[in-house]
Amino acid sequence: MTAGGMMARFSDDQRMTSPGGHRVYSRDQVEQLRFVKAQIDQGIPPADAHRLLAERAAAGSVTLGAPEAAETRLLILLAERDPYAAELSEYFLRTEGYEVAAVLDAAEAARKFDELTPSMTVIDLLISPGGGLELCRQLKQRSGAPVLAISTLETSDQALEAGADGFLQKPLDPLQLVSAVKDLLGASAFLRPSPAGRR
Amino acid sequence: MTEHPGSTGRVASGNPRLDAILGGGLPAHGINLVVGPPGSGKTVLAQQYVFHNATPQRPAIYLTTVSEPLEKVLRYGQTMAFFDARAVGRAVHYEDVGGLLGEDGLTAVLERVDALLKGHRPAIIVVDSFKALTPYAADQGAFRRFLHSLAGRLSAFPVTSLWIGEYDSTELSTAPEFAVADAIVSLSSDRVGQRELRVLQVLKLRGSGFLSGRHAYRVSEAGMEVFPRLADPIDAAAYSMAAERVSSGIPALDAMLGDGYWPGAATLVAGPTGSGKTLMGLHFIVSGARRGEPGVIATLQENPTQLQRIAQGFGWSLAEPGIELLCRTPVDLYIDQWVYEVLAAIERTGARRVLIDSLGDLAFAAGDETRYREYLYSLVQRCSRLGVSLLMTLELPDLFQVTRLSEQGVSHVSDNVVLLQYLRQPAVLRRTLTLIKTRASLHQPQVREFTITPEGITLEDEILADPASPARPQPTEATAPVRPSS
Repeated sequence: MTAGGMMARFSDDQRMTSPGGHRVYSRDQVEQLRFVKAQIDQGIPPADAHRLLAERAAAGSVTLGAPEAAETRLLILLAERDPYAAELSEYFLRTEGYEVAAVLDAAEAARKFDELTPSMTVIDLLISPGGGLELCRQLKQRSGAPVLAISTLETSDQALEAGADGFLQKPLDPLQLVSAVKDLLGASAFLRPSPAGRR
Repeated sequence: MTEHPGSTGRVASGNPRLDAILGGGLPAHGINLVVGPPGSGKTVLAQQYVFHNATPQRPAIYLTTVSEPLEKVLRYGQTMAFFDARAVGRAVHYEDVGGLLGEDGLTAVLERVDALLKGHRPAIIVVDSFKALTPYAADQGAFRRFLHSLAGRLSAFPVTSLWIGEYDSTELSTAPEFAVADAIVSLSSDRVGQRELRVLQVLKLRGSGFLSGRHAYRVSEAGMEVFPRLADPIDAAAYSMAAERVSSGIPALDAMLGDGYWPGAATLVAGPTGSGKTLMGLHFIVSGARRGEPGVIATLQENPTQLQRIAQGFGWSLAEPGIELLCRTPVDLYIDQWVYEVLAAIERTGARRVLIDSLGDLAFAAGDETRYREYLYSLVQRCSRLGVSLLMTLELPDLFQVTRLSEQGVSHVSDNVVLLQYLRQPAVLRRTLTLIKTRASLHQPQVREFTITPEGITLEDEILADPASPARPQPTEATAPVRPSS
């Protein structure tokens, strides 16, 4: 999507022109453009990127598009079985300011975990048939980063035995998901002082 | 709304009887289909769910497609008592996606649903009409792909979906949306005589039991009012075992009965027109009220004025404390609704006695012998369990020679049967009373002449040798006072 295409979603009363007839963007608008572009670059559908922008703006976030802000946000690895559920969870976590890396396969999740060193992982226990519990165990052995297990089935005991720090039954209520993530991280999305402090 | 996020929760309708039919409500977070012909109340039912469950935090989204214009949904919706205009735009969001459909087809609907899930985080989403989406798919394969994609999105979010559609019975096995539905509620009409009887039926409900069968319902300004089919099983443990008898209000008859009826017994008083059936019922109710046992007169025969006039003739008043009058006309009566009215009157007044006058009118109103027997049987069972004594009148066609009594199994469900007859004699019409049956009790197997005096029914001492009736009284077996028996 071009910058013009992205800006087409901004309302007309937000547009200004220079004496020479050129379109002029305010500092805020430029920041918003950067934010939308950053989301799209991370694989977020344009419509969701604009929805995120609107939610952030409504919430009064001051770090909309600042490039450095993204690097100081906490990263969550989302290992989901269901692409629709993955898209929704990713969206709701991003609205809270978290960075999200979503994968639909247990092996890919393990690889991403090593590559990205996320602050926490959300694992659907039914990912890659039979692979969810094993993934829980593996990730807990590799680091102390919290793991939130999720499943359509009520298997909280098995999840906790496998090392998960929390369990939620699907379908996930957005508020419960965000609340559980905040509890396990013990921090909001923006509290990480530097990339080095990610874990 | 049920709090639990799992698949076993239920979404209540706000109508306890409907929720009872559904085993607590529609499956929470499920896809629920409400099907029926135009005008059957599908939209009313969906809006009832919407307004009962929506909150500003977890709102309801009502999407109209290309069937009924949103303007009309709102215009008629606001006439309903449950419709709260203040909630619209806050807890309830209406949206017409017909334009999107026309421009960009089903894909646009998917994108819109996606946006609404993310933007509003709804607890309920209604699509009205869902069936109207079908022509927007290029072929059946395309519609199935759309369905799979939509169902996938909705299943990934804790939202309860109601899809409304004008499907007919032949589509139940062919339309793919029925396969993905967690619950299917059908609304239809049955022809009963010259009337239409609206019928609600649960065709499918995942995750729990439900009340099977066809349940009558009405649509009024209050919304959908449902009358679950009464099909009470025998529950011997729940029956009253009180030892004190219930007076018939006629001392001589009490003596014949062995000191009155058993509490909770159902007594059938059968006889030709004018033989004194209603009067016997009034004896039963008035004497009970005067003993501190409230009674309900459920009449389909006389209007209140006529009945009051009859009562006054014997020095009684229906305005006496402890007497509740429930007058209905059989030409505009639905047996389902009537039975619930009687049960509600019993509960409201704490009634210990009920008079039903008459069963013939009730059978006429039911229009269907099976429904009539089901409802009558269940009413008798419920009264018996509550310890409420029931007296039912039945008009017999024969003035002088009773040839048949057991109409539609009525005598079978009755504990006691009292037969009133005329005796043909030159220049005079005489009346007789015979105790045909008293269940779990001894009785005097006599045929007694009776007269109607200003004090009511008075049994004469004379025992007639030949009452000119083939229905000769038979002594019943004396057994322990338990109910029910065959």
